[in-house]
Amino acid sequence: MTIKAEKISKQYFRKTGSANYFYAVSPLSLEIRAGEVTLLMGRSGSGKTTLLNMLAGLLAPTEGRVWIGDTDLYSLDDKALSRLRSEKIGVIPQSRSAIDTLTVMENILLPAKLYGKPLPAESARQWMNELGIAHLQDARPAELSGGELRRMAIARAMIQGSDILLADEPTGDLDDENTSLVLSAFRAAAHAGKAVLLVTHEKDALNYADQVYHMSAGVIQPVDQNKEQS
Amino acid sequence: MRKQSIPAIILFLISLTIIIGSQSFLSPCVHEDGTFGPCHWAGQALFGVGCALGVTAVLALCVNRARFGVYLSAMPLCTLGILTPGTLIGLCHMSTMQCRMVMQPAMIILFSVALLCALTGAILSARK
Amino acid sequence: MTIKNLVRKPGRTTVLTLLTAFLALAVFGGSVVVLSLRSGLNSLEARLGADIILVPSEAQSKVSFQNMFLQGTTGAFYMDASALDKALEVEGVEKAAPQTFLASLKADCCSIKIQVIGIDPEKDFTVQPWIARSLTRALGDMDVAVGCKVEAGIGEIIRIYEQRCKVVARLEATGTGLDTAVYCNMNTMNQLLKAAEEKGVSHKMASGDAVISAVYIKAKDGYDIDAVNSQLNSCVRKATAVRTRSMITGVSDSLAGVSRTVTILIIAVWLLAFIILLLAFVLIIRERAREFAVLRLLGASRGMLARTVLLESALCGLLGGVTGVGLSALLLFPFAQLIESALQLPYLMPDVINVVWLGLGTVLLSVIVAALSSVIAAYRLSRVDPGSALREGN
Repeated sequence: MTIKAEKISKQYFRKTGSANYFYAVSPLSLEIRAGEVTLLMGRSGSGKTTLLNMLAGLLAPTEGRVWIGDTDLYSLDDKALSRLRSEKIGVIPQSRSAIDTLTVMENILLPAKLYGKPLPAESARQWMNELGIAHLQDARPAELSGGELRRMAIARAMIQGSDILLADEPTGDLDDENTSLVLSAFRAAAHAGKAVLLVTHEKDALNYADQVYHMSAGVIQPVDQNKEQS
Repeated sequence: MRKQSIPAIILFLISLTIIIGSQSFLSPCVHEDGTFGPCHWAGQALFGVGCALGVTAVLALCVNRARFGVYLSAMPLCTLGILTPGTLIGLCHMSTMQCRMVMQPAMIILFSVALLCALTGAILSARK
Repeated sequence: MTIKNLVRKPGRTTVLTLLTAFLALAVFGGSVVVLSLRSGLNSLEARLGADIILVPSEAQSKVSFQNMFLQGTTGAFYMDASALDKALEVEGVEKAAPQTFLASLKADCCSIKIQVIGIDPEKDFTVQPWIARSLTRALGDMDVAVGCKVEAGIGEIIRIYEQRCKVVARLEATGTGLDTAVYCNMNTMNQLLKAAEEKGVSHKMASGDAVISAVYIKAKDGYDIDAVNSQLNSCVRKATAVRTRSMITGVSDSLAGVSRTVTILIIAVWLLAFIILLLAFVLIIRERAREFAVLRLLGASRGMLARTVLLESALCGLLGGVTGVGLSALLLFPFAQLIESALQLPYLMPDVINVVWLGLGTVLLSVIVAALSSVIAAYRLSRVDPGSALREGN
């Protein structure tokens, strides 16, 4: 399923300076196609995370629309939007996103549990195995390292969103070995038909990408991949 | 601190309350003319049961191997304490007397809590 | 999930539970005490079914009369039995019944003094109806009926001045001083008086004369009770007529005082607990914003988050309510007698069904209060912006 942003922008109010409003994300259109890995690079503070949140249905844009398939995301009410996010979109946030009172396994199964769906325990175990955290399934998040928590979030997103994966710095806490492990997992997910967006600094990610954008001060520009790599 | 010793400590504090209480604020009736009613003997018996329970609690703290058994043995002791005032040894014939108004309910509650403690202790040390 | 949250954050759960437990304790305990005082007053009114009580002049100064009713202190005072006939001659008197009091020595059985009250079963209209509820026939000679606080079983023999009296009935609780007394008929009383005299306890009357301690008088309808009262005061020598209303008014005044104090206390505890709970929940908002942002991220709707908060606090309320009611029952019921003695007011426990309802009501109240105080938190948390909440933690 394709996720399409149509002239979306996000304005914030700021008191200092001459202009009261500033664009965190300037009006832009973007299409993240199914079966492809799209890369969004850029410095911190350039609006990457804001853009990702808008695409994920977590942050309403000031203007513009976000389409998932034929659905206008922000025309839905909260209940329908939440349900849609739960079913279609897997998000891997930049910061830690574990519920401390649950075990790693329970955290991974939480999206399904929220809607009382049958728990995909088997596929959860598979992903944990693949990402090398199978031995931690009964541990508490407080006992995990940053990299392990990151991989937990990835496993959770992988089994949650069936169509779209949005990851914010998914390789931030990982060593080289795990980075390539995770990146090839995203590549494989795209192969399986998912639309994948990676927000990252990781140059290695370029090898896995079909489409690359660079973001700076709220503006995105497509990047010619061959030029970048050389 | 080991989990199984916590009930023993509570048990010890309760028996201390019983021992001191039976001689002071939870005492049986005091007659102005120095004679004793039946409740006096109930008070003495409670003092004794309290002492025995205290020793049991100390044992439960000290011994390691037989803790389960010590907790078990505290249970009939607590039951004895519950039955002593009024059932096994008579009290004064008026509910407004100190022994019926204060000593009996307080002792029954204290020994009941102690019984629960002993039960908890037994369960905790059996699991080990 | 809710239960896991509660179990795995024992500190937070304990604080919230303790707060509601405190609330439940105050509400339940306070209401039981106030209800007990109310029913105590009602039963005092019923047992003092007379309009006027005529007692020897000396009884008034001794204050013993009122205390006998309220606290069950022993006391005895006598006047000539002819006072009864004189009272009946007064205009406006419909019924008059004598009672004779005797304070026992410490009988060996009881090791305490008890109040013995002799009644005339045929004439008596205050105590007799109450005795009749437990004993269908009249009290025979050397039979006694005992108040509920006298620990003697039916068939047991109690010795009063070396006289063996058989307990034939145990009376229902009234919550008044009447519960500590022993009742017998006039024949028995006369025999006991004689025995007392032999023991050297004089009742200040020429022996041989029949004596009584009080005359309970009911005024005829349509007569002004105050007028009858003053009429009695002037006609019967060496006796004072007292309106029962004045005794009851005194009691109900103190009762109103106690009720007011308890009510204010309950309201204060309520407000305090509500404010503390409110604060506790608002503080928790900051701590939990992250957790809820994650839930939002994973597809939880606002309604689901709000429900989670409400359910958690309601569960804390339930737990706290049950604990509070249980704890308060553990103190109130075994120590009822102690409370009664401390209050020095008629105190009669409401019956089991009412207590159960009251307990259930209190638990329900705790649940509602806990849920209500978390409404703000529920609203704020459900509106948490996942993007910024998750960034804050970086």
